[in-house]
Order: sequence, then C-alpha cells, then structure tokens
Amino acid sequence: MLAFIGRRISIALLILFGSSFIAYNLEAYAGDPLAGLAESTAPNKGYLIATLTRELQLDVPPPARYFLWLKGVLGFLTGHFDLGMSRDASPVISQMATAIPVTLRLVTGATFTAIVLGITIGIISAIRQYSRLDYVMTFISFLLFSLPVFWVAVLLKQYLAIGFNDFLGHTDANGNPQASIPVEWIIGISAILGVVFAGFVSGTRNRVLITWAATFVLFSAMLFGISSTNWLLNPQLSIVGVGIMSIGVAVGLTYVLTGFENRGALKAGLTTAGIAIVSYYPFQFLAGPSTNAFMILGLGLVSMAIAFAVGWFYVKVDRGPVIRVSMFTALFAGFFMLVDRIMQSWNGYFNSDAINRRPIPTIGDSNPLLMSNDFWIQTLDGITHVALPTMALTLISFAGYVRYARGSLLEVLNMDYIRTARAKGLGERQVILRHAMRNAMIPLTTLIAFDIAGILGGAIITESVFGWKGMGTLFRNAIGNQDLNLFMGGLVLTSFLAVMANLAADLLYSALDPRIRIGKK
Amino acid sequence: MKKGLVKSVALLAASAFGVAGLSMAPAQADVRSTVIINETTAMSSLNSGTPDTNLVTNTDIGSLTGFGFYYYNDKAALVKNTKFGSYKITKNTTGDFEVTYTVAKGKVWSDGTPINADDLLLSLVLSSSDYSKKAGLGNPDTDTPAFNSGGYGGTVDNHVNANAYDISDDGMSVTVTYDSYQPDWQVLGPGPAPVHALVLMAAGKKTLQKTSVNISAKGKFEDAFYAAVDTEAADPDGYDADTTAWAKGLMAKIGNIWSNKYNITNINSSTNPLLLISNGGFIVQSAVDSQSVILGRNAKYNSGPALATSNPINSVVFKFVADGAPAAQALANGDIDIYDGQPSTAVYQQLKGISGATTVVAPTMTFEHVDLRVGVSNSLTDAQAAVGGSTYTGPFAGNSQKAIDLRKAFLLALPRQDIANKEVLQIFDPGSTANATVLNSSFLLPAQKAYATLIKSSGIAALTTGTQAQRTAQALALVKKYYPSASASNSVVDITMTFKNNSRRIDENALIAAEEAKAGFNVSRTPDAGWSSHLNYNSSDVFMFAWSPSAIAQTGTNANFLSDGSNNHYGWNYPAMDTALHALETDSTDAAVNAHILAAEKIINANALTAPLYQWPQVISYNKSLQGVLPAPLTPNIVWNYFAWHY
Repeated sequence: MLAFIGRRISIALLILFGSSFIAYNLEAYAGDPLAGLAESTAPNKGYLIATLTRELQLDVPPPARYFLWLKGVLGFLTGHFDLGMSRDASPVISQMATAIPVTLRLVTGATFTAIVLGITIGIISAIRQYSRLDYVMTFISFLLFSLPVFWVAVLLKQYLAIGFNDFLGHTDANGNPQASIPVEWIIGISAILGVVFAGFVSGTRNRVLITWAATFVLFSAMLFGISSTNWLLNPQLSIVGVGIMSIGVAVGLTYVLTGFENRGALKAGLTTAGIAIVSYYPFQFLAGPSTNAFMILGLGLVSMAIAFAVGWFYVKVDRGPVIRVSMFTALFAGFFMLVDRIMQSWNGYFNSDAINRRPIPTIGDSNPLLMSNDFWIQTLDGITHVALPTMALTLISFAGYVRYARGSLLEVLNMDYIRTARAKGLGERQVILRHAMRNAMIPLTTLIAFDIAGILGGAIITESVFGWKGMGTLFRNAIGNQDLNLFMGGLVLTSFLAVMANLAADLLYSALDPRIRIGKK
Repeated sequence: MKKGLVKSVALLAASAFGVAGLSMAPAQADVRSTVIINETTAMSSLNSGTPDTNLVTNTDIGSLTGFGFYYYNDKAALVKNTKFGSYKITKNTTGDFEVTYTVAKGKVWSDGTPINADDLLLSLVLSSSDYSKKAGLGNPDTDTPAFNSGGYGGTVDNHVNANAYDISDDGMSVTVTYDSYQPDWQVLGPGPAPVHALVLMAAGKKTLQKTSVNISAKGKFEDAFYAAVDTEAADPDGYDADTTAWAKGLMAKIGNIWSNKYNITNINSSTNPLLLISNGGFIVQSAVDSQSVILGRNAKYNSGPALATSNPINSVVFKFVADGAPAAQALANGDIDIYDGQPSTAVYQQLKGISGATTVVAPTMTFEHVDLRVGVSNSLTDAQAAVGGSTYTGPFAGNSQKAIDLRKAFLLALPRQDIANKEVLQIFDPGSTANATVLNSSFLLPAQKAYATLIKSSGIAALTTGTQAQRTAQALALVKKYYPSASASNSVVDITMTFKNNSRRIDENALIAAEEAKAGFNVSRTPDAGWSSHLNYNSSDVFMFAWSPSAIAQTGTNANFLSDGSNNHYGWNYPAMDTALHALETDSTDAAVNAHILAAEKIINANALTAPLYQWPQVISYNKSLQGVLPAPLTPNIVWNYFAWHY
C-alpha cells in the first residue's frame, strides 16, 4: 500500500513537472508582455520597456526562465515557497489567497447541489426505468446537459434578475411597491407545473389527469395567495408554514426510509417536528441581528443531539432507521426555520438604499454599498448574489450525475445478488437502499473526487459572466494579460489537485470495494 | 432550529441579545446619489505612478482623489485648473527656460493640511534620474530605484537636473528650470502629492495628525528634499554631512513607502488613513479586493471645479466587471450606472436596447495605422537580425522612384474607408451604410483646430480623392510600370504584413488583402502573436497596429518619425523631416507649429511612409437620469468631469 502510494506520488511529481514545463513555455511563446507598451507613444517608452524586461526577466529565454520560476516553487522545501509576482506587482500567492474563498463560495454549493440532486433523480429514474418520469428526467437532463453555461447565465439574469426586479419594483397608484402576479401568469405557471408533476406519476390516464388538476388547483391557490398578500415583498413562512412543512417532512421521510409500518419512526419524526414547532418562538428571540454562524452551528448541533435522543428513546431495537428519520426531520425543520428567519429580513433589505428595490443582482459576490452588521441581512445579501450563478452551474452539471447514477444503479439492479435478495423475501425498500444503492455509488466516487478537486480550478466562464473574482477569473486574466507567474500559479494548483484527486479516487475505490486490491501484483 | 424549550429559555437568559427584529430601517432615497462605474480590471494600487501600477482603473480612481494644475476636457484640450493655482513661463532665453507654478492660497488636503509648494517637490524625485542618483536613491537606468516611478527616462528627465526645483520665499511657488525651451512645458510641470503623509508614515504614524504636526512634517520633507542632493562642492557654506545623510535616509524610506505601501486592494477602517489623503472631490472610503472601491465626498475639497450642488453625487463606486454581456445586463439591472468599453455588436445592440440608459459612441485617442518599411530599423538588435535579416530588400526598400511608386500604390489601394466603416460603424451596427470618419493625419486629430487646414495641403488628398475603385486602378497602373504582368487577377508583388492575432486586425488584414490583390499585391494573411517584438524584422514589409497616446503633446509624434526616433522601426530617414521635427521642439507659436507639422506630413505622403486609418471608437452607456456625463478621448476618459455629474 505504502509502496503503491509512493510510486504514484513520484509519477505525479513527474507529471506535474512535465505539464508545468510545457504550459510555461506555451504561454510564454503565445504572446508578448510588452505588446501594450509597443503601442505607447510615451517619451519614456524605452525606460518602461527596460524596466518591465528587467522585472519579468524577459531577457532570459522561456525554457531557462522556467527553471528560475521552478526554483521559487521548490522553495517550499526550505520554507520559502514563492510563486513569484504578478504583473501588477502583487505576490501571486496573495492573489490566489483572495480568489480561493470566492471560488469556494461559488462552486462548492453548486457542486454539492448538483451531486445530491443529480444522484437522487438518477436513482429515482433508475427505479422507475422506462416510466413517464424516467423519460421526463432523461429529456430534461439531456436538454440541460447540452446548454452552454454562458447562455443559461444570460437567460437567468434576464428573467430572474432583471425581469424579477422590474416586477418587484412596480408601485401602485400611491407609490407603494406591490407584487401582484397577473392572472394569466398564475394560470400559466400552475398549468406548466401541473404538466411536470403529472409527468412524475405513472398509471392510468385518469390518475395522470387527476394529478395535473390537483397540482394546478393547488399552485393556483398558492400563487393567488402570494399575489394578493404581496407575500413577495414581505415573505415569511411563520410558525404555521414551518409547522406544516416539518410535519410533512417527518411523514415523507418515514415513508421513504422505513415505511409507515414502522410506527416508531413515524412517532419519532412527528415528535421531532413537534419540538421544532414549540421552539419556533424561542428561536426568534435568539436569532437577533448579532447572531453569528457559530451560534447557528451550535443550535444545529443541539437540535441534532435532541433528535438523536428522541429516536433513541422511541424504539429499543433496530434504532438506526428511526434515528435517521428523526435527525433528518430536525435538519429540515431547522432549515425551514432559518429560511423563515432570513425571509423576515427581506423587506428591510429590499427597501434599503443600497438595494434600491432591485434585490437580485446580475454581478458580483456582495453589495459593497450595503453597510449593515445584521447577520441576517448579510446572509441574505450573500444568497441573492450566489443564487443565480449557483443555479446556472447546477443546471448544467447535475445532468451528468443523473445519467451516471441511473446507469450505475440499473447495472447493479440486474445482478444476481439482487435477485437473491428479492428471492429471500426482502422488501423492495431494503433491496434498493441497503443492497443496490451502496454498490451503485462506488463508480461515482471517481467522478465526485475529480469534481471536488476541480472546484478550486474555478468556473472560468461562470465566474466571468457573473463578475466573480475567483480562481477562474484570475486564470482568465492571467492568460489575457500575459501574466505568466499568475497563470502558472493557477495551473500548479489545479494540476496538483487533479493528480491528487486521481490518487484519492483510487484509494477510495479500494476502501469502498473489497474486491479491489491495490499495490498487489 | 429545534431545541428543548427549557434549553432555549436558559440560552436566552444567558445571552445578551436584545429584542429580535430588524435593525435596518428602510432608507429609500427619493433621488439617487450614488454612481457606480464599471471597470474591466480591478484596482491594484492607490498609486498609479509606478511602471507596474500605471493601469486605467488605478488612474481613474486617482483622478477623483487628486487635482493638479490642469486637466484634459472632452475635446482633448488642455484646461487650466485655475482653482488650484496658476503657472507661467518666467524666463525664456537660450539655454535657460523657467516655468513658475503657484498654488493658490487656502487650498487644503482632505485632512485639512494646507497645500503649498512643498507638495509639488515630489514630482522632481519621480521624474529626474539625476535626482535619484545624486540622492542615493538608485539609478533608474540599471536598477529598481527607491522611488520605482514610471516617470523616469522622459522629456523632463532629459532636460532637468537634481536642482531644477526652486521654491519661493512665501512657500507657495516652485520654479522649474529646464536646460532648453520645452514646447510641451504645460504638461511637464509638477503635481501635488501629500508629502506630509509620506513623512508621517516614514515615522511610523498610522493615524491622521493635527495640522501643526502635518505642517512641520512638510517642512521636514522640504529640508530632506534639498539636503539629500546637497554637496560640499556646490554649497560649501550650507553643506552638512550629517544632515545630508539624514535626508538621504528619509528619502529612501519615503521612496519605499511611495513604491510599495500604496499597493493595497482591501481598504477598511483598519487601513492607515494617511494613505487615503486626497485633494480631489472624493476620497477612498473602502475597497474589497478584486470587487469594488467606494469613494465618498471629500468634505474639504477646494482644489478644483466645485461639485454640482443640485441632486449631488455623494458616492462613486467602481465595480470590476468583465466587458461584454455581463456589463450590459448589469447596466440594465441597475448594478452599474456607467459602462465604458469596446463592446461587440451583440452587446452594443443590447446596450442600445436598455430603456433606462443613454448610449453614445465616441472616438478615442488610440488610432489604427499602417506603416511601410523603407530600410533597416535604427534599433535593430542582433537577435532580431538573426531572424529577420540584417538588411531590408523587400519591394518597398529605399527611396528609388520604383520603391516610392510601389509604396504609393500600396497606400492607394488600402481600403481605408471600408476598414473605418467596418471597425467604427458596422462593428456596432452591421447594417450601417454610413461612412465613418477616416483619420487623415498622423499628427493631429479631427477634433483639433488645425486639422482641417492641414489635410488640405498635406498630400493626403491623393488617398481621399475619387472612389476606392479609382484609387486601386491608379495603384495597379503604378505597379504595372515595374511589373507589366500585374493585373487584378495576377498578384505579382509579395508583401509580408505583420499584425496581431485579434479579430480586429484579422478583419482588417482580410479587407486589405482583398483590395490590394486588385492592384497586383499579394498580401500575407498570417497574424503574429508576438508582433510587437517583431516590428524591427526586415522580413516584413507592412505593419499594422495602433498608437495610443496618453497626452496631447506637441512633440508626441516625434519619436515615430525622427530618423533616430524610438518608434521609428522602419528605417525612415529624411533630413528635412528631422529638421521640421526638431523645429517642433523649439517653436511655440501656433503658426510655426502648424507649418512644421505640415512640412513633416508632406514628406510622409510624398514618400508614402504610413497611412492613418481611424480612431478607435469607445462606447459609453449610462443611466439616463445621471446628468453631465461626457465621453473624453484621453485618460481618465469618462471620469474627467466627475465634478459636473449630478442626478
């Protein structure tokens, strides 16, 4: 094992050396850092060119200059790691240190959302292979898979930012903002959602029609309520919404994870939801403007502990699924309460001078004019900025997971041991959750390992379209400005992570699948 | 979050939080007072004076926080800022040329410190390598000096010495002594810098100081400024070795601060306020690296034109957004108020379509041109000769009648109008059939007064008379004189053209190659990523790129056409041209200046050396309710008249 890792690391170093050498020279020969000065008519042009030549060591040919750069990189052996200076005279390392958190904020959310959503949908469509749902999902995922991100981004901005802001900015005759949705929109949106939901159910035509009608009526009523109460200007879930949704989650989770025949799980879930409802008002008191992330995290841990205890006390045997139901219910209920609390800040945010009644921005990762120390306002600002880019990234990347998860699960479901499991009388839920799914997920580790490693590479297009200054933008600017050191900084980081992810995927594989042994000849 | 009630109450009791609720009262202003400007690159420094930080964004921000003796307006004309002070020539004899700059009384920095002549002294340190060397601050020619300024090596450096600045007795004026008359003396003078802040930072201060402390810091700077270059030989009575050593030490310390400490991109309440001192209408309040910079009103501003008073601008924000569709949508969404860039067709149409925005196209100072090689460059290096050859033997070589005729033919067949139409108009509006303005002078711009008269007699008329088809036919006739087999379908003269690999140049090259083919020229079509270092290559006959001047200077074009000029890569060597251009360096009357320019242009056109094409267009699109925005061709472009903005 150790020998294997050692061998792989030495190969990785060779790859890193080779790729960085090639990339360095390609980039160095691809353009001329002095081009901008060549067009200058400044009287001291000669001086400026000489200065830049000296600073960038342009008098050294690129293959040799590479080793000057490499000397700085290898400095980590002696504790003087140096990626050099970028063209605007700031250290590459500090530029990357600023860019990495921005990228993490942008890409992490999207990557995990895509993984969770993609795998879930993939599993559902595999279980219902060749059903209407499967076809709908396949269609949607292929459609999204084929869309270019810049186009998706432009559409999202046009309709969900500019269009939505225009809609929210409307005022009535007295100059008060109002957010009533036109009737034709209510009908249209509900009808389309009806089609989507009807697509999910399988069965007779009657059942499909009923589903459509029910969805239509439900959403029409909801949208009408949202419209007539100007809910969008002053949104909240309140204790009623949080309560209904928590109970719904408890029931739903019980159904999916254990089935209603497990009364203990149902009771535990409902009890947890009940505790959540009871703690709604205390939470409002606690979650004042000066809340911080640690406090939220602390409350989350407390609630998870309580949920665990609830699950533990309700049943004496086979506690696992019951505890899971209870804890997931707590997680969701907590999430609803957070959403509700953030919604309460919406009106103040919306009407502030900095937002000027246009809450959804098209660019940037925060509003620099927003001078507020309110934790919830800041959180809301973060959410409005991250919403569209996350949506764009998720939309285009989750389709891949859907296809992989579906294919992988289908393959496993056709295996002999699944037939055996069914033959010995196991319920379908257990066959899928306990036997099939775990094995089906193994091939996905490679994909996930690479995608997580790829997070730090940034999303070049998405970042520049949404005006985020993360690693992707840094890399793009470096190429555009002939900023060799900056370019290499990004390249070294991403190629290092790619190589490491490859190694990690191999190791994970062997850990997850006992049939695979690495390092054995 | 779910938790036990008892726990919640206990937590509540333990917590010091007040009543939950909204802390942000709605503050909807009736009229906006914020202007958000889009920049495509992020701010990298508050000091745009070093070679590394002399970038558009840094300069734009600097122009809001500093005001000197003059500025350029939207017509690229120099405007004296009489609010700040005055300047005039005080002596003009052979070998002795003096200009005196006087700061008006009562001008103050944003911290209340009075501005006087001490604040002008730093300019000499930043532009004279003689001063840098004598003060022990390093030799800018060979090493990075203590003041890593981008100002060395220029006109000032060549004509002043370390003792060029003389301060008046009342401390309000500086007299600058040049070794000869400087036609561009107006733009060579000193600008104000808060020297007291530099001295205080050198002493480790991190907060704003009392005015009395600031004034004594300024005095210290003045002492150090003079003592650092003092020698016993020059000043046997006043010289004091200890003082000079102290002065050199202080100047070196200040140099380090000036070169490095202003390179900050995150600015907040913990930033040293001494770095932010301003005498412009605004002062930097905060900045987030790579994202934005916010400037607020400088309450003590009195160094320039008064800020608009009705519905005034209280804060200016620079947001860093990539050019193109993101910027257009940001404008449509109100995320930015002013866009300034060079958009593609689609983005231009998008900008035009924004109902709340005004979109205008205006020319910039940058102009596209085509140069023809005549001989070997005056700066050819061995390495360049190894690649491109040490002699030039192409069809345009030398000044024989044949070479001149071929060069003339090439320029005649250059489809200048088509190129301008495509790159100035059709690039934004593909259906446009209007004619764009073609640039007809290498020295003057159409906006300048003398331009119209100049182009009538400069000889450029040959390239503007008739239709392009007629001119191309003339060109073919000229080529046929030497290559009888040439025809519109038989290109016999091979021409190598050097141009950058971007879409603008590739389009232009395509238009040129198509038209030149009709005149018998076979123009190469391969773009060159490393074009700028290949301008000396003898293997290339024609060069196409843009000049982007940063100032209107009487002698600004000299480097392009003097036989030893640093921008003359093509072996242009005409004694009459040198005479005319050298005369430009000494004459000051408009009539004489125009006569010399005319003489130079005549030589250019008679020998068919170069042809200007068009001025690059810029597009400005801004919030319709913002008043007073005027595009300007010179740096700092759109922000030049921020003082006139209001809603």
